[in-house]
Amino acid sequence: MPDTMTLSVPGKAEYVSTVRLAISSLAAKSGFDIEAIEDIKVAVSEACSNILCHSNIGDEYLYRVECTLHDDRFEVTVVDNGVGFDTDHYKEPNPEDFQSGGLGIYIIKALMDEVHVESRDGSGTLIRMTKHIFKDEPAPSAGPGHQ
Amino acid sequence: MSLSINGNYDEINDRWDFDLVGEMDISNAHQLKQQIETAYAAHATDIYLNLERLSYIDSTGLGVIIGVYGTIRGNGHKTIIVNPKDNVRKLLRITSLDKVLIQ
Repeated sequence: MPDTMTLSVPGKAEYVSTVRLAISSLAAKSGFDIEAIEDIKVAVSEACSNILCHSNIGDEYLYRVECTLHDDRFEVTVVDNGVGFDTDHYKEPNPEDFQSGGLGIYIIKALMDEVHVESRDGSGTLIRMTKHIFKDEPAPSAGPGHQ
Repeated sequence: MSLSINGNYDEINDRWDFDLVGEMDISNAHQLKQQIETAYAAHATDIYLNLERLSYIDSTGLGVIIGVYGTIRGNGHKTIIVNPKDNVRKLLRITSLDKVLIQ
């Protein structure tokens, strides 16, 4: 059974950096290199920011960040019970026509190996992000005669 | 986590130089927006953002920079990012902002 750690986070912008630090620490523990840790850190932070920007949960409510350390993957789920948004009408930003909104999900998808977003008006939002762990092939064992 | 913003008007080159130090995210990106708006109201000219000591930026921070770029471009002024760290440069590349914001 994989280890899972869950954070209940107040809906305040000031705590996003705390989540970032905690997730970085867990990613480092899983053996990712610095660039992959940075990818995970940015993606999770973007998911938290997305909830704060769009869920309208208010700063007295909590959202949840759940991190599961599988043998072959690092999975983080960020979920809230806010108003949600209609993913069918999510429009990815067009690099030729820069807008200041809509970048968060775009960045998450660019940095993580798998991304799943569930959200409907009135029923909250769930963002699940996965980064695969590629372990080095085990070194061939020394055969007879190798002392 | 903290963000320090230091803005100086360079009279010789007629431009604003902003040094950003620390981390910029949803909790503090509005500070940059306010400081640039105040500066630009005093001297409407090009804006240079030195990110050499900015260790982290998120989409909120990028959104502020995109907003500045869009606003002052209409007046014929440039927004230029200087010396971004590798992790910041990666986000600029992903979002294609490097094409218009890095000299």
